Amino acid sequence: MRHFRPAIALFTISLTTQARAEIDFVHQVVPILKEHCSECHAGEEAEGGFSMNTRDLFLDDETAEPGKAHESYFIDLIYDPDPDYQMPPDDKPRVPENQIAVLEKWVNEGMKWEAGFTFGTPTYEPPFKPRRPELPETTDGRDHPVDRIIDHYLSSENLEQPLLIDDSTFIRRVSLDLTGLLPEADRVRRFLSDDSPTKRETLIDELLADDVPYTEHWLTFWNDLLRNDYAGTGFITGGRTQISEWLYQSLKDNKPFDAMVRELIAPADTASSGFINGIEWRGTVSAGQTLPIQFSQSLSQSFLGINMKCASCHDSFLDRWTLDDAYGLAAIYSEEPIELHRCDKPTGEAAKAAWLFPEIGNIDAAAPKDKRLKQLANLMTHPENGRVPRTIVNRLWGQLMGRGIVHPLDAMQTEPWNEDLLDWLASDFQENGYDLKHALRRITTSAAYQGATAPHQNSEEGESYTFDGPRPKRLTAEQYVDAIWQITGNAPASYDAPVARGVVDPALVEKLSFESSWVWGPSAKPGPPPHGEKILLKKEFSPGKKKVRSAGLIAAADNAYVLYLNGRKIMDGSRWSELDAAPIANAIKPSNRLLIVAENRGPKPNAAGAFCALRIEYEDGTDEIIMTDETWKVSQTVPAGSRPNNWKLDDLSWADAVAVNIAQWKEATDKRIGQTLARASAGSDRLVRASLLKADDLMRALGRPNRDQIVTSRPSELTTLEAVNLATSDDLVTDLQAGAKKLAGNLSTDALIDEVYLSTLSRFPTEAEKSFATEALGETPDEATITDLLWAVTMTPEFLIVR
Amino acid sequence: MKFDIDPEAPESIVRRDFLKKLGAASTAAMMSGAPQIVRGAGVEHPEAKADACILLWMGGGMAAPETFDPKRYAPFEKGMSADSVLSTFPSIDTSVDNIKICAGMENIAKVMDRGTLLRSVVQPDLGSILHSRHQYHWHTGYVPPQTVAAPHLGAWMARVLGPNNEVMPPFINIGQRLEGVGEKEELKAFTTAGFFGSEYGPMNLPFPEEASAAVRPPEGMTGSRFSDRNKLYRQLVDRSPHREYASDFQQESLIRSMDNAYRLLSSKEREAFDIEKEPQEVREAYDTGRFGRGCLLARRLVENGARFVEVTTEYVPFLHWDTHANGHDTVSRLHNEIDRPIAQLVLDLEERGLLDRTLVIVATEFSRDAMMEGKPGSEANDQATHKVDNITEMKHYGLHRHFTGGSSVMMFGGGVKKGHLYGATADERPLIAVEDPVTITDLHATMMTAMGVSPRTVFMIEGRPFYVTQDGVGKPVKEIFA
Repeated sequence: MRHFRPAIALFTISLTTQARAEIDFVHQVVPILKEHCSECHAGEEAEGGFSMNTRDLFLDDETAEPGKAHESYFIDLIYDPDPDYQMPPDDKPRVPENQIAVLEKWVNEGMKWEAGFTFGTPTYEPPFKPRRPELPETTDGRDHPVDRIIDHYLSSENLEQPLLIDDSTFIRRVSLDLTGLLPEADRVRRFLSDDSPTKRETLIDELLADDVPYTEHWLTFWNDLLRNDYAGTGFITGGRTQISEWLYQSLKDNKPFDAMVRELIAPADTASSGFINGIEWRGTVSAGQTLPIQFSQSLSQSFLGINMKCASCHDSFLDRWTLDDAYGLAAIYSEEPIELHRCDKPTGEAAKAAWLFPEIGNIDAAAPKDKRLKQLANLMTHPENGRVPRTIVNRLWGQLMGRGIVHPLDAMQTEPWNEDLLDWLASDFQENGYDLKHALRRITTSAAYQGATAPHQNSEEGESYTFDGPRPKRLTAEQYVDAIWQITGNAPASYDAPVARGVVDPALVEKLSFESSWVWGPSAKPGPPPHGEKILLKKEFSPGKKKVRSAGLIAAADNAYVLYLNGRKIMDGSRWSELDAAPIANAIKPSNRLLIVAENRGPKPNAAGAFCALRIEYEDGTDEIIMTDETWKVSQTVPAGSRPNNWKLDDLSWADAVAVNIAQWKEATDKRIGQTLARASAGSDRLVRASLLKADDLMRALGRPNRDQIVTSRPSELTTLEAVNLATSDDLVTDLQAGAKKLAGNLSTDALIDEVYLSTLSRFPTEAEKSFATEALGETPDEATITDLLWAVTMTPEFLIVR
Repeated sequence: MKFDIDPEAPESIVRRDFLKKLGAASTAAMMSGAPQIVRGAGVEHPEAKADACILLWMGGGMAAPETFDPKRYAPFEKGMSADSVLSTFPSIDTSVDNIKICAGMENIAKVMDRGTLLRSVVQPDLGSILHSRHQYHWHTGYVPPQTVAAPHLGAWMARVLGPNNEVMPPFINIGQRLEGVGEKEELKAFTTAGFFGSEYGPMNLPFPEEASAAVRPPEGMTGSRFSDRNKLYRQLVDRSPHREYASDFQQESLIRSMDNAYRLLSSKEREAFDIEKEPQEVREAYDTGRFGRGCLLARRLVENGARFVEVTTEYVPFLHWDTHANGHDTVSRLHNEIDRPIAQLVLDLEERGLLDRTLVIVATEFSRDAMMEGKPGSEANDQATHKVDNITEMKHYGLHRHFTGGSSVMMFGGGVKKGHLYGATADERPLIAVEDPVTITDLHATMMTAMGVSPRTVFMIEGRPFYVTQDGVGKPVKEIFA
């Protein structure tokens, strides 16, 4: 509630403010504000949400009205006689009348403010340019650069070096960190019995060189950081595009990070433009979420570790960034001139394209958009820009060590716990060509990375952090799902990411670039088919004894389909503009039946069609393409249930499929057929990884974020609902049963227990564990017992937490 | 723990003084990932009028003139002019003298004297009508897109109030599929605890008749095998060399979560998820379809200590309340689907003495109109399937456009007045709220106030104060409370 001062006071003041000269802000106003207000409303203090650090903050929320002292709330408060409302608070001295007069005159004259002046006390300001600190002397023979810095730090802080981990802990930690996968039992055995003194480095090199597992693990980190996904808000209205293909290939090629940044900020084509183009919503959105502002926020957060979300609404309370800064970045992206909005209200000021660290150059605001973006890309990857490399190496350190050198990862203005370490790693990264794998190798080869994790009693830590070794990390949703599939072999047949997992031959892409042909049932003649209609399409084919070398399948439908091969669901989809693909070499039999259930959706009758193409390559070098056409059979009745093997297909009435070819469909799909089908054919027999799938319930529950916002850290704890899910899941039991089947019968109980421990925990069981498990399993354990042992082991903290 | 709020908080509400109360928290900590409640930020929680909340969600846009706010009835006549249609159902009397509702809802009419009807709820003009965007707004209090993931109101209750019975998940979401339906990604964007993290997220039960599967051992596993499996797990944990980390918070919380899960799965409350446990006649009283069965499930869950339960008629583009054509016939069917179970739920809660402490809300993202898209002055595209001046077929007869200028919300129990009417819309088109308009923000404040959560409850996330009602400005409609 607002309290207005008594009229009498207003009268008095109007008599005493007749001075001629203009108020001098710095010499007259600042001392008054400092004396009476700054204790609570400047620097880091913002009582009542009011900070007067900058003029914009002063004006925020109508605390003052330039030109109108009598309408300015802060003046009201100074006059207010009510001890509950008056300012300064009633236990502080009142502001003398002559000083109030100065303030009123200052307001009436428009509240002039010295450019750049702030009441804010400068907090830590990180260096911007790169810095390569001298390495301290080697102690205890630990000559790794990271260890030289950390050992020096530890001894100057009188701290102990964390103990080194054993080989089992190491191989599990480093495999999960670099490839996201558990090391296989045999690999663990080999590693444990290897007595080479350099075996840890060799293992690191092998893991980093294994480019597909590496890529498919780090894809998760990058998808989170760049808010890329295969489904999510915005796609439905075409307001968002993926960068998946570009990202996957960049990681696989170990593209230098500076090149990635340039291609993301100034994309040459649509492959990498999804990051800067953000998520566009139909209809009006608040000023703080327009596409140019999203650009400003995403770029700042991902690459500079700056939270520009605050400053894109008002000057930040938390760091030095202002509304001007946020809009300056936005204007680099915007095609149109944009007006600054403070807390969603227009200010009348036009934004000028500019970037945040002009000490190494700036943007030519008059240049066209593509030039501006290129200029920004160059500034971001400028050799004198130390902020970008610091931000990314800090993120990598955080991924591997469980906590950043600067914490939190998105607040790079915070003082690092060891400036030399951050600066050395950043410049080492820069000097080595922004090589991400080089940075990962640097960190993982250090004794610091190979230190033991200490227990911590609280998730929150106080102000002071001291390095005491890496922090434990919970398996991410993707790591957990992958691990289960590794143990059980029960990964799905197809995946959602539009990426090539194997090597795609360009000649094959060319060869497979044919035109699509679409079909529907009799209702398409003349059409349009009724909405809600479901049809069943059927095709049988028999390669006989010919041996299959590779096979790929693609499909799309307007509006939705589910595709089964020999009774097994291969894939489904509901976007006619997207080709789904699956490698299916293992699923081809001497004689086969393809079934597609297709559905027409919408509010009224409308065009409907389904398309599928299968390419089989045989060992003898020949190949064969099977595509939807009029030789397919169609039933207008679809049997109930989701198990085609139970359907009585002979009882249905079958007609010839009707060709329907709509230009829109072909336009969307035909240019991608070669690429997609070649890719599916090249798909190896590697297990599908969770990072390539859309998020499902389980992954969401395990903490995979909806990538509508950039989320750079995953939850560290397991929640009750997740635990309920894991305890009741039918699918998990089915998966684990498949794993149990592989183990049962082949091994003695003794060997089986070793195998379980090695493949899940990367170690042999202790004697106590061995004798307990032997007792639990019995001499000839059945599948159910092994299944339950696998479940129990995979629920233990040792399995779920990476130490 | 009942409230995660400093009981020593000062009583006076000083404007936006949250930062002061952060005390020694550094700016860095404020930027960090975990949301932090701002303790004693001048936030005074009102005394709770209700312990549980059941939201009955009419997804797709329930037309007020076809349900709770009947206007002039225009029976179907071939060739009638489209703009003569305000309501396609006649009105009927209810147990409250001055309240009439649409024919087809005779059972709800009988329990009208147990609740308050708000007829003047309004939505913002978002420039283009997208159901899921308005649903996001309704469920989180914030218009998307947002720079942080906004929590669902059920997650707010779970986070601030916790469950009534600690065995039960506090936030349960019944009837909405999140896979295999259109706009599913948009639905997921608000069916979440957002930045609170999945501990406070929804337990999703899309098929009420299958809910018990979510809390029973995996298919084909006997109870004894299930408990043996859990014992095996405990013994492995006890024998693991990693027990040396027993004091570690991550390890400890993981084991606690597993214990909590097992406790639910072996509890008597587990049976609350099984509607088959109800006598045949009770199941029949509710069973008008998935929604009706969902209402029965909601009652059982609330009886056993759930905090927030949502039951939806399910949002699927162009289906159910999303009537772009065939409105009259579709709504007739929906009347059948919702009328008995809603009334039965109110009566059952009353009979068990739970109605006074349970807030039951019937709501939707916006209303519908036969002619107007959006509200007067809106530039939203006309999305009716058949754009006709004269109605020649039944499929033209109904309210096929999205209307944001005035919709109805029905509340029962939870301390609201009985047999009370609040707000009014115009009698002629445009049927906008002409008396006591209530915004989504104020509606949120009203629901939260009933539940004992201050509309100014605030968490810091990424250095930003994030309030339970948009920017903390929601004001409860105090007049509807008894």
